[in-house]
Amino acid sequence: MDLSFIFVQIISGLTVATFLFLVASGLTLIFGVVDVFNFAHGSFYMLGAYLGYQIISYWHVNFWAALFLASIWVGILGMAMEFFFLRRIYGRAEEGGFQILLTYSFILIIDDVVKMIWGTEYKTIERPAGFSGSIKIGSAILPSYYLVIIIIGLLLVVLSWLILNHTRPGKIARASAIDREMLGILGVNVPLTMTTVFGIATALGGMSGILAAPLRSVTPGAGIEVIIDSLIVVVLGGMGNFWGAWVGALIIGEVNSFAVAYVPKWASLFNYLS
Amino acid sequence: MSLKRLNNRIFLAGIVVLLFLLPFMKVSEYVVILMNEIIVWGLFALAFNLLFGVSGMLSFGQALFYGFGAYVTGLMVIHFGAFWFIPSILIGMTAVIAISILLGLITIRLSGVYFTMLTLAFAQLGWEIVFKWYSFTGGDDGIQGIYPPDFLGTPKAYYYFSLILVLLSVWIIRKFVNSPYGLTLRCLRQNPIRVSFLGRKVKNYQLGVYVVSAIFSSLAGSLMAGINGSIHPGMLNWTTSGEVILMSVLGGIGQFFGPFLGGGVIVLIEDIIGAYTEYWSFIIGIIMLLIVLLFPKGVLGEFSKLRRRLKI
Amino acid sequence: MSKKFFLVFVTVFLAVCFIAVAGSQSYAGAKKEVLIGALYPMTGRAGLYGKDSVAAVEMAVNEINSKGGVAGYKLNVLFTDSKVKPAYAVRIAKRYILEDKVNFLFGVVSSGVGLAVTQVSKKYKKIFIGTDHASTRLTVDNFQPYYFRVSNNTFQSMAAGALYLKDLQKEKGWKTIAFIGPDYAYGHSQWDELQYNLKRYGVKYKVVGVYWPKIYTPDYTSYITSIMKDKPDVLVAGFWGGDTVAFIKQAIPYGLFKKMIYFHPDAGGNYELMSAMGDELPLGLILSARHHDNWPDTKLNKEFVNKFHKLTGRYPSYAAEGAYAGIYAIAYAVKKVGNPNDTAKLIKALEGLKIKLPEDPEGFTSYMRPETHQIVQVQAIGVTVPNKNYPPATRMLGKWKVYKAEDLIPPMDYIKSHRKK
Repeated sequence: MDLSFIFVQIISGLTVATFLFLVASGLTLIFGVVDVFNFAHGSFYMLGAYLGYQIISYWHVNFWAALFLASIWVGILGMAMEFFFLRRIYGRAEEGGFQILLTYSFILIIDDVVKMIWGTEYKTIERPAGFSGSIKIGSAILPSYYLVIIIIGLLLVVLSWLILNHTRPGKIARASAIDREMLGILGVNVPLTMTTVFGIATALGGMSGILAAPLRSVTPGAGIEVIIDSLIVVVLGGMGNFWGAWVGALIIGEVNSFAVAYVPKWASLFNYLS
Repeated sequence: MSLKRLNNRIFLAGIVVLLFLLPFMKVSEYVVILMNEIIVWGLFALAFNLLFGVSGMLSFGQALFYGFGAYVTGLMVIHFGAFWFIPSILIGMTAVIAISILLGLITIRLSGVYFTMLTLAFAQLGWEIVFKWYSFTGGDDGIQGIYPPDFLGTPKAYYYFSLILVLLSVWIIRKFVNSPYGLTLRCLRQNPIRVSFLGRKVKNYQLGVYVVSAIFSSLAGSLMAGINGSIHPGMLNWTTSGEVILMSVLGGIGQFFGPFLGGGVIVLIEDIIGAYTEYWSFIIGIIMLLIVLLFPKGVLGEFSKLRRRLKI
Repeated sequence: MSKKFFLVFVTVFLAVCFIAVAGSQSYAGAKKEVLIGALYPMTGRAGLYGKDSVAAVEMAVNEINSKGGVAGYKLNVLFTDSKVKPAYAVRIAKRYILEDKVNFLFGVVSSGVGLAVTQVSKKYKKIFIGTDHASTRLTVDNFQPYYFRVSNNTFQSMAAGALYLKDLQKEKGWKTIAFIGPDYAYGHSQWDELQYNLKRYGVKYKVVGVYWPKIYTPDYTSYITSIMKDKPDVLVAGFWGGDTVAFIKQAIPYGLFKKMIYFHPDAGGNYELMSAMGDELPLGLILSARHHDNWPDTKLNKEFVNKFHKLTGRYPSYAAEGAYAGIYAIAYAVKKVGNPNDTAKLIKALEGLKIKLPEDPEGFTSYMRPETHQIVQVQAIGVTVPNKNYPPATRMLGKWKVYKAEDLIPPMDYIKSHRKK
């Protein structure tokens, strides 16, 4: 097989990987810091896409403004979920099971709420102005919007790594993953930290939903479709680890990309094998 | 104490008698079918709860064994004839031992959420294989026309057949839980480290209960294939595992019969709510939320708490 | 430890269950009505088809009932969400038959659910009218006398597709073909049936790539770049719904549609695609579906589409027309027999069904093929052109090519060889 095709597939794998990573990043953050497994993370992804659609088509604002607004709204919803519901089950025996159930119930509820508000027709968002074309790298075509996504993905990894490791809030967040009690004794408002982290993580989920919307169709049930794949990324990357998640997504994206080209029949099985 | 135990037995016997007499009461055939589904789901939930409620291992992949049983039965009946229906149940239960040992050796090395995620990943892998291998499994179309042999052909006969198998399984599971082995498992749930200090090989116990749970999950799957006459890869999907978790928690994971009751409640809720509204998932979601927040011990658990308070 | 109390509770609970279920006894029989038990998905990706079908069913029922019903009977339809879960749908179908005592089973979008429900229909000898699910297996491999389908199946779409490709070869001289479709029975049967029909109509071609992404795959990038490398003259797609939208959106920036002919004859021409994509939808794609909002240009079709739009505020996807046809097929049979209870006679009547439907062009009437219980209809394949008459869509199909119904049905030897299996 010629080299230029291999290059093309590597780039394809990278874009697939970046989307996987974007969705998984919030999941891994919640997991690493708050120690909650948020099954409804995919539903926040879906909510982000719907809110983005709503903002753009009704207020006619620019895509990037909608990205910002909708992410914040989703983050607020996420904080509300943590504050009013999840907080009540921390420290319970079998907490893991109840977390899964509680967040699972949110999948069911959000799915139907979305249907009540937006109906079942497919919604789409157009690519932001200036990013509908593509650029050529050698013989490889790379849609410029994908380039933006890849850069956002990389920025996110680096930024979150910097924040978590080299700033005080980041260190507090990481400490709360290790010993909440001790952190509380040291005078840190642990519940507030957890709510905030939860909000940031769900905002990341919402953001990836809007970023993906120009390339996918926004439908009810979209949340359930992305959750299992992002889960695999999170587990593969070592839960709570941003770099790990990014590498995990990259492995899945690339393996899948070459499986598609060379063993198309069994391509999607590789997700579970890798 | 002994009088209370006697009372217990009388009540259990009463329920069993009630279940046996059900087809003779003035109920339609549909009620018999519905009850049949309830007891099979109940068995599945009970098998799941061996892991979660008894041993503290939350598996998100029990659908794998449930679906496995269903597909063994389905494929054998389709290819070799209805005679193989009953043998296929036993073959499924035997074959699942090998599979669960193999998977168990890998999954039980992890604990907590990692165990949960790994069981989920394996089950999804199984689902993917069944979904894709359409020349053998029928893929997404599933397999239809799985009929038990003629003497089990009517809903009533099949109901009795499942009821006997389910009761037998419940009896075995109860014996298992109350045995010294089961006691060790319950200790494991509370403090695995202390159990290992007592000289027990924790992993062996965990593997054991994983296998037992798989066997009865497979039985439930086979029985379900006979009720529906058709099987489908969805039986292996993670949503099926999710459903059985919901049943157990709803009924109460700390109570032996809790999951069984939860199974019944969920089947009925689906049946009744489904008929009146398309927003069933919203309603089930709300119910789930309320139970998790307000009644974490499940229906049976909350009831026995109430009973203790009232000293009945 | 006494468990007396909760055992009492269990007993009470069981008793309540029995009463609840037994209490929900049927109310049919008392009134003179034709009771129809419908199963449609109302959630997830297929929810749109379910919603459109339900709206169309209610439309047809109101039309018939406002004219006094059929043979003195009013139509009454019960709806339940199938959840796209075959096991659940089977239970509901049993409830419809045993509890509600329906006269007909009706509906279903997913073929998996359809195949499971047809078993119930066979076992309880209850007629099942299939309105959407496309699998040819229901009328060929798994044929059973109580099942009838009132919309085209994948075989008919693919036969029309093969004929179109034959014409296209004469015009443009294409030689190579690639296929991409969802990796489950629906995708695979499309590809098998297309190859069968290409052979049947003597089309010579070379396959350069076959791709099976998982259904609901969010990201097709790797597939797109791999297809571009294959350089087929024609790309045949077998997606439905949101997957079509995602694939097309992601393929546009790669310039895929400028490099090859995009051909999507089964579900590609569904209105949902046009409405979701608006201006983004490339021109010149060759698409078809089981019903089109802007073809044929008959009074019946216009009335159907406009009335649907008035009721729901949106234009119908093809699922709606299938459901609409199903109600009229039932009305036809009941009228002929005079009551909705004589199953044997109803089957005979449905086997002789001849009915003018919105999707029938002038001079053609849909009819039932007795050997397969599959409705026989023409199929029109079109090309995307600008058209702002059906907003929010700004592209619709045009430049139609219409294929004769009789050329699209499977020949008897095909049916026989498949039924033997």
